Amino acid sequence: MKKFVSAFLSFAMIFSLAACGSGNSETTAAPTTTPAATTSADTTAAEKDTTAAATTAAEATTAATGDVDYSKLKIGFVHISDPSDKGYTYNHDLGTQKMAKELGLDVNTQIINKYNIPEGAECGTALRELVDAGCNIIFATSFGFENYVLEVAKEYPDVQFCHATGYQAATSGLSNVHNYFGEIHQARYLSGIAAGLKTSTNKIGYVAAMATPEVISGYDAFYLGAKSVNPDVTMEVMYTNSWNDPTKEAQVAKALIDDGCDVIGQHCDSTAAATTAEQNGVFHVGYNSDMRDAAPKASLTSAVWDWSIYLEYAVNCVAKGEAIDVDWSKGLKDGVCDISPLNDSIIADGTKEAIDAAREKFLTSDWDVFTGPLKDNEGNEVVKEGETFKEPASAPSFNHILEGITVKE
Amino acid sequence: MDNIINLLNAAVAAGTPLLLGTLGEILTEKSGNLNLGVEGMMFMGAVSGLAGGLAAEQWLGGAGVMAAVGALLISFLAGALGALIYSFLTITLRANQNVTGLTLTIFGTGFGNFFGEILGQRSATGFAQVTQGTQAMFQPIHFGALSDIPILGKLLFSYNWIVYFSVALAILMAWFFKKSRTGLNLRAVGEDPATADAAGINVTRYKYLATIVGGGICGIGGMYMCMVTCNGIWVHGCVSGYGWLAVALVIFATWNPARAILCGIIFGGLTVLRMYFPIKGLATQFYDMVPYIVTIVVLVITSIRQSREHSQPKSCGNNYFREER
Repeated sequence: MKKFVSAFLSFAMIFSLAACGSGNSETTAAPTTTPAATTSADTTAAEKDTTAAATTAAEATTAATGDVDYSKLKIGFVHISDPSDKGYTYNHDLGTQKMAKELGLDVNTQIINKYNIPEGAECGTALRELVDAGCNIIFATSFGFENYVLEVAKEYPDVQFCHATGYQAATSGLSNVHNYFGEIHQARYLSGIAAGLKTSTNKIGYVAAMATPEVISGYDAFYLGAKSVNPDVTMEVMYTNSWNDPTKEAQVAKALIDDGCDVIGQHCDSTAAATTAEQNGVFHVGYNSDMRDAAPKASLTSAVWDWSIYLEYAVNCVAKGEAIDVDWSKGLKDGVCDISPLNDSIIADGTKEAIDAAREKFLTSDWDVFTGPLKDNEGNEVVKEGETFKEPASAPSFNHILEGITVKE
Repeated sequence: MDNIINLLNAAVAAGTPLLLGTLGEILTEKSGNLNLGVEGMMFMGAVSGLAGGLAAEQWLGGAGVMAAVGALLISFLAGALGALIYSFLTITLRANQNVTGLTLTIFGTGFGNFFGEILGQRSATGFAQVTQGTQAMFQPIHFGALSDIPILGKLLFSYNWIVYFSVALAILMAWFFKKSRTGLNLRAVGEDPATADAAGINVTRYKYLATIVGGGICGIGGMYMCMVTCNGIWVHGCVSGYGWLAVALVIFATWNPARAILCGIIFGGLTVLRMYFPIKGLATQFYDMVPYIVTIVVLVITSIRQSREHSQPKSCGNNYFREER
């Protein structure tokens, strides 16, 4: 009996070790790499499909420049989390899929994703693995990746590196490093309108990741949007000190709600703030993705990206052998950012009209969010009357906390 | 005043997974096993709880109670499975307890994230999430008039069922260690297995059962992180160090389950303190350090007092060889 029990336990252990082993290899290999065991018949079939699709897509998108061969391209991505965040990475991944579809790329063989890479030395390793796997162009999507991108890019001048939210490409002196971002503050301004009209306590909460210019300019724009329709509104900001920490995000959102905020905005990666708002019966304005699935009774709308526009542009450049912009930034006018569909059952009356009017202003004029007179929360004038602050580069630099905003830290 | 009430309310919510992890580890250590794999077992419980909830929704028809029960049972079993591996290695094969526990943490973290990602990839939306009905099961219960009592209502009657479950479990466990024959036997095993063995107590069986049930309780703590804190969505790395906090909390609670309730609330409160009582200019990182500083202080104080009642079970960390008696 005893022997039987220990034999059984050994078996259970070996089984779990096996499970562990496969777990490791799967996670490092990333879900979209080619399975090694594909039969040759399958491969040829897949190749045929790809080329067929590629030709049609190429005809459609690059008719003017003639045939472009996408079949030899390999594209790598380094992400800080995975699509399960239903936020930043999820949305970036949607852009990848859209780009692959438009250009007729095979997502299984031509795109390699590295998920859940921390902003540390692991990023350098992941970048080198992508180069070794034969990638022609690599996208690194988190702010803290930039130094590793510069380091690896120096070693591989033939590979193009594109880094989102960074600012060092122009000064790095490396021709194969490029920054990209967009005028997300325009979308945030629109989403702020929904929050400003919905709040009844006139107090909005904002779950912010870190005190960087990207985050600060984001909540400034969100607040200005709210204020444009509700002059009495104030806003409270609290940091989580992490781009992606669902537990902290939920706790910060709860603390803001306890403090009397009845609409919660966010600049962090997951849906935790949205679900916390729903649990506590208040409303929420998201970022990165449409969060109506996660919190149908709370999510008013979200400021969202369409990353496929840049991805298509950059991949096209590589395919045609053209240079990629060293610093790329576009906004509402080009559809790079916008808000997700409004949650019609819970938005305040007149939200749609107010947002449409503001959108019209963005589309038809040169008007932008940071138009004076603007004061920071210590009373200093930061933008003079009649002047408009325009971001000089793709990475946001507007670093003033505006009047009406309290940062709790 | 409102701020204090809100802080206490948030502290209980943040402290419950810690309490469950602590209770599981206290039970384990009382049998003389120092299982450092709490984090791993919590991860296993988290992903299995979610999978259990999803499976119950799919096969037993419908969200709600069945899914909650499924999540509870499966997360317990998953935590128990992790502890079973540990038990077999340390009790039967007599492997080093510290190393085995650390390995279990690494294994469990990988287990959780791997299967969490698979769940996400298998679902149509690209991420694993239980339905609205099941989410509602893990939201605060409204006790009618009781919940509406000012102050008391918010302090006592505004939590989800796992909070009440874990407090009841802590009280039950305190009774078990102090009053029940089995509990006293278990403590004897943890203090001095050779003497317990001589007294006719089956040391191996006690160690196995306590460690496995303890692991199961840790698993439920992980399920709380996934089903309550993250609202039934799989989030990569959702346990994020709570298992380690629970190990520290065992020392803080001086191996006393009833005291663990209070300590869980204090630790939970310390993790959210800065959101309710911010001090202008004090970096938030200092707040994040506080729970660990408190642990060190408690360690120093308990070792100065050298109280036998409030110290670790004597044989904890050592494997028992009958032949070496």
